[in-house]
Order: sequence, then structure tokens, then C-alpha cells
Amino acid sequence: GASGTSVDTTISLDKAVEVELTCILDKEYSYLKSFQVTWKRGNETISHTNKTDSSWSIKVSVSDSSKLGSYSCTLKGEKQLSGIFHLQVPKIERKEKPTISYLRDTGVMSCECPGYTAISWTWYMTNGSKQIVINESLLADRYVISKKSASITQLKILKLSKEDGGEYWCEATFELGKSEGRLELKVLSFVVPLKPFIAIVVEVVVFIALIVCYEIYSTKVKRTETEKEFDQIEHLKSEDSGLESSEARQRRI
Amino acid sequence: ERKVEEPEAPAAGNCPEAEAADGGCAWGVVFHFFLVNVLVMGMLKTFGIFFVAFQEEVGGSSEQISWIGSIMSSLRFLGAPLVAVVCRKLGERPTSIAGAAVVAGGCLLSTQATSVPFLCISMGLLLGMGFACLYQAAAVMTAKRCRTRLAFSNAIARSGMGLTFLIAPFTQLLIDFYGWQGTLLVFGGIMLNLVPSSMLLRPVSTQPPRRPPAQSQHHGGSSAAKKDSETLDRCLDESTHKEIQLRSTQDLPTTEGFTVPHGRDVPAPVNTLERVKKATTSSAETATEAKRSYKPHPGTQAGNAQPLLDFSPLKDPIFYIFTWSFLFCHLAYFVPTFHLVARARTLGISSMDASYLVSVAGITEMVSQLLSGWVADKNWTKKYHYHAAYLVLSGITNLLCPLATTFPLLMTYVVAFAVFCGGFMALVLPVLVDLVGVQNLHSYLGFAAFFAGIAAVGGPPLAGWLYDYTQTYVCSFLFAGACALISPISFFFEPSAQKWKLKKSQPKQQPRAWLR
Repeated sequence: GASGTSVDTTISLDKAVEVELTCILDKEYSYLKSFQVTWKRGNETISHTNKTDSSWSIKVSVSDSSKLGSYSCTLKGEKQLSGIFHLQVPKIERKEKPTISYLRDTGVMSCECPGYTAISWTWYMTNGSKQIVINESLLADRYVISKKSASITQLKILKLSKEDGGEYWCEATFELGKSEGRLELKVLSFVVPLKPFIAIVVEVVVFIALIVCYEIYSTKVKRTETEKEFDQIEHLKSEDSGLESSEARQRRI
Repeated sequence: ERKVEEPEAPAAGNCPEAEAADGGCAWGVVFHFFLVNVLVMGMLKTFGIFFVAFQEEVGGSSEQISWIGSIMSSLRFLGAPLVAVVCRKLGERPTSIAGAAVVAGGCLLSTQATSVPFLCISMGLLLGMGFACLYQAAAVMTAKRCRTRLAFSNAIARSGMGLTFLIAPFTQLLIDFYGWQGTLLVFGGIMLNLVPSSMLLRPVSTQPPRRPPAQSQHHGGSSAAKKDSETLDRCLDESTHKEIQLRSTQDLPTTEGFTVPHGRDVPAPVNTLERVKKATTSSAETATEAKRSYKPHPGTQAGNAQPLLDFSPLKDPIFYIFTWSFLFCHLAYFVPTFHLVARARTLGISSMDASYLVSVAGITEMVSQLLSGWVADKNWTKKYHYHAAYLVLSGITNLLCPLATTFPLLMTYVVAFAVFCGGFMALVLPVLVDLVGVQNLHSYLGFAAFFAGIAAVGGPPLAGWLYDYTQTYVCSFLFAGACALISPISFFFEPSAQKWKLKKSQPKQQPRAWLR
């Protein structure tokens, strides 16, 4: 039910059902005395099926697409209040970001209408300004349409080429009508991400070269230092042996 | 007798080679560790973004795809003992370079993936093992190079984890531009950057410290030589104390085995120990022999049998003390971070505010790690006292978390939690180094990481199960608080464990008396 100044609500129907729409007047408006509540669809007035002091309902038997649309309950009196119900087929989630695939690879696109079961799905490809149905028999080797689950459909395009990029439409057929979703496919050549990769590899090689050069340089420096030390130690050694012999001589004495 | 471990820190300042290690290239090591943290943790955390892309394009159910992420993050820990063996045989630098190459290769290979099992191997196995190599090599090298300021350097390196929040939007951008395959290609290149930074892990200087060891036994010699010999004496003494301590455990063959071929910090004293025992008079020969022993000489130590996989940590009570605390503190760290956002949502906080919480937590943790590392390095008291204190405080904070039901209160909780978490996580490695020393660090860290890996594998499912069972996130925080409080209990046993260890080594102490 709806209450207040003007309230909107959307109801998605995938099957033929009978719905009851109720407008409930909020407590804060209970002071209103003389008013009239009418249910309308477009210009056509619908009679109430159920009526109480603060709620008004109608029953709609939605059997085909002609029964879908906007139903409104309007309260005319001291104040003007209305509530609107939109009855429609479920909308397919749209993908804002394009799907990215590579040449000669497999491109995968999927459409989903969560919670509802579609009778059938159809895929369209946009060529120029025309919409072409992707018929399995037409291009059976390259296109694979599979039903992943009750509410998800998937289109796989094998061996992508540049021309495969562009707009695609997935259409779900419900009992009460059809619903469309738009997807975009971008086909990139392998070279595109390769460029930053090669840039990074070059940078890495430069660093490695720098470090290797630095190491070779510093080991050369160290080697000359150790040679100098060896000389020092040899020198001290000879001093030592000189001292030793003098001590030994002293002891003997 | 416990103090034998500690004098190494102040004495390290006196030994000339250690001084060289602390300056210069030590910063390279810390930088490399920092980079490893950023890239490895970044990759692990952004796996969730790849998850969505994999689900759509490669196919497979969520469970199958989450296996990839689990293999990747658990192998990082579980592969550690194996990596420890490799490190000891080849050295840290080659291992780290190999790890970086494996990671880059895994990324590149994954671009060709067409099915989930393929990805499990190329991304899960290869990346996981590569990460383990990188992490283990970097951690041990940091411990070896930065003796005096280990806690602070460790904290600086760990702060790299705080920067990983930048990697997520970057990954999303790449995926929008290039698709998941292009992104993996670029990531492979970025991981290749770890190769030059691994080359910064230079082995500790192979140059023998300037010293004629013979001088210590002669009255002659210049004053400079005398001073050298004094410092060397101290160096020798500390290292000999250590070596003798180690003799009693089974580690000695392995330490000798791995230190000498690489000419690392205290290899020569081991050789000199044996040689000085034999020939006290032929000092000159000793000097030249010792010098020659510095050149990589695998032949000299070929006699000592080196066990391929060193199981000695498993016989050491200190190891169990450390692993117990390591395991529980990891659980206490991961579980709240998992469920923080979810809890905020259930309390009615919007996702914008929830993401503020996460950012505040990240920044506070970074700052607190640095502070905790700096304070711990001052050595006012033993590092594990700080560690235990932070754990207890963090446990109390977690236990009080259920009381935080509004945004300001939750923010207070997050800040407190981040401060204490940063505190104890920064000290994990320094505490281990304090307990077991740097020589055995590879084996101990390897096995400890293995057990922690088991906890890491079980942690997320356990947290999820807790939620399913109790239908509230409160229990996860209580659980984390309990873990954090259990974890420092093992440290109470540390002094008695040390005494037990020394008693075991008592009979072998004679050579020391003899040397004196």
C-alpha cells in the first residue's frame, strides 16, 4: 500500500497473476473529513473492490501485457494525495562497463534478471544501425548461447575479431512481455597491455644493470683494500717473528 | 646465563663487521622487505577483485574460485619450511630472486588460463610458493642485517601493508582498461620489480674483519693491533659463547654447514675455535688459514653432515612457546579485520562510514607499528614483555567491543584495536630473534610459519561458522579477544624453558672453560 503526498512504487511481474493494490491513508491525515478516493489507470476509472475507513483496494488480473502500466489512487479533498503503482516486466540489470576481451580469444557476456524466470532469451548484435538476431544456425561455429541458470544467460563468442566489438542486446521474453538489456564488447589487441608491461620490464632491467655494476665496482674496491691489509698483516707477522726470536733468545739466556 | 643471548646486541655494536652491516646496505634490505610487504599483501588482498572477473569469464562456482585465493594465501605460510631449506642451501639472495621470478611467471602464465584448475596451479600454487620464498628470505635477512634496530626496521617494513589500500582501486582501474588478462600481465611486470630489489639482499660482508687473531696471545704488536684484538676477543667471546651453547643442541652441524660456505657474520670464529685449540704457537699460520677459510670453501665443512630438513626446532620448548603465541595472535588479528565492516553494517552504519573505519584502522596501525618498534629497540625491557602487554590490552579491547554500538564508540574501538595490533604485530619477528637468535632463524621461522599457516587456513572458515552459528558478529570479536588473551600465556614459561635448555647443555660446557 502507499500513503502520503505522492508515492511511487514499482512491481515487477514475470508471470500472469492477480494482484491486489491497496492505498492506506497515513494516521497523520486522519483529520481529513470530506474526501473522495478514486483509482485510475490513465483516464479509465476502476471501481474499488474493498474499502475501509482508511484503505482502498482494487484487484487487477494481469493476464497479458495490456494490463501492465501505471495504476494510481488519488485522494481529492482538502489535500491532494496520490499513490502510483507501476506494474511492469522485470528489468534486466544493465552493465555500465564494457566487457573487455582479446583478439582470437573467447569473449563472454552474460545477462541476468535476478529472481525471475524468463521463458526464452534472444541475443542481438548491432551491425551499423540494424539489429541482427544471433541465430544459432546462422553462425553456429562462433557463437554459443547457453543458459547458465533460470535467470542467467550467456553468450560466448569464439575466435574474436576486431569487428566483433560493439553493442549487444539481450532480450528476455516473459509471459507478459519482453525486456531488453544492453552490453558493450571491446576487443583489444594483445599489444595494448603489452606496452606498459614492456615499459616495466625495461625499467627492471635498468635497475638490475645498475645494481650489478655497483656490486662489481665495490668488490673491486674491496679487493684492493684486502690486498693492502694482507700486506699489513704480513708485515706485522714478520715483526712478530722477529719479536718471538728475540724473546726466545732472552729466555734461553 | 640467559644473558648470553643479549650481549650480542650491544656487542654487535663493537664488532666492526656488524657496524658495517647496520649502516649502508641494511637500508636496502629494509626497503626490499617493505616492497615485498606492499606487493605480496596487495596481491593477496586484491584477489577479491579478480574473483568477480574470474567468476564471469572463466566460469566455475564461487567455492572453486575461492580455492585459488585460499591456496595462494595459505601456501605463503605452509611453504615456509621448504623455503627455509632452500634458503640455507642457496642463500637468501638467490632464493628471493627465484621467488620473484616464480611470482612473475605465475602471473604471466595465468593470463593464458582457461579453467579454474589451471588457475589454481598457476595462480594459487606458483604465486603462493613465490610469496613464501620472498617473505622468508626478506624477513631473515632483515633479522641478520639489522641487529640493533631490528624492531624499528621490521616496523618500517611492515608499514608497507598499510599502503596496500592503494592497490585495490589501481587494480580496478587496470581491469576496466585491460580486462583481467591485461591486468595480470601488468602485475607480472610489477612483480618483476622484486628481482632488482632482491639483489639488494647482499650477504653480510665476506671480508674478514681486520684482525690478526694471533696478536691476542702476544704482548708485542702495535697498539692498533691490540685494540683490534680486544674487540675481536669480544667478538670471538660472544660468538664462541653462542657457538658453544649451540653445540649442545643439534644445530651446530647445520650452523657450521650453512654459515661457512657463505662467509657470513660469525663463521670464521667457528673455524678459529677449532684451530686455536690446536695450534696456539703457530699464530701466523692461524691467521692466514682463517683468512683463507673465508673464501667459499664448501670442502672444509663437507665432513659435517647437514640434515636437509632441520627438525631441531620441533624438539625445542622455546619453539612451542613462540608458535603458540604466534598462532593465537594471528587469529586475534585476522578475525576482527574480517568482520569489522560487516559488524558496522549490522549496526546500521553506512558503507561510507564503514570504509572510514577501515582507513582509520589502517593508518593508526601503521603509526603504532613504527612507534612500538622504536620503543622496543630502546631495550628498556625485554621485547616479549611489550609483546605480551600489547596482546593482553588487545584482548581486553576485543572483549569490550560488543559494547560499541554507535559510530563514535566503534571508532574508539577501532583506534584502540589498531594501536595494540600494530604494537604486537611489529614485535613478532624481533621476539623470535630474541628467543632463538639469528643463526637458526630460518628453521624456526619456517616451522612457525607452517603452523601459523594452518591457523590462517582455518581462521576465515571458523569465523564464518561462528557467524552462522550465532547469527551475530559479536562472537567473532569475543573469540578474537579470547585468542589474544591466551596467546601471551606461553611467555610465562619462557624463563623456565631457558633454564631447562641450559641444564641440558650443561655437560658440554667444558670446552669453554678450557678455552678460557
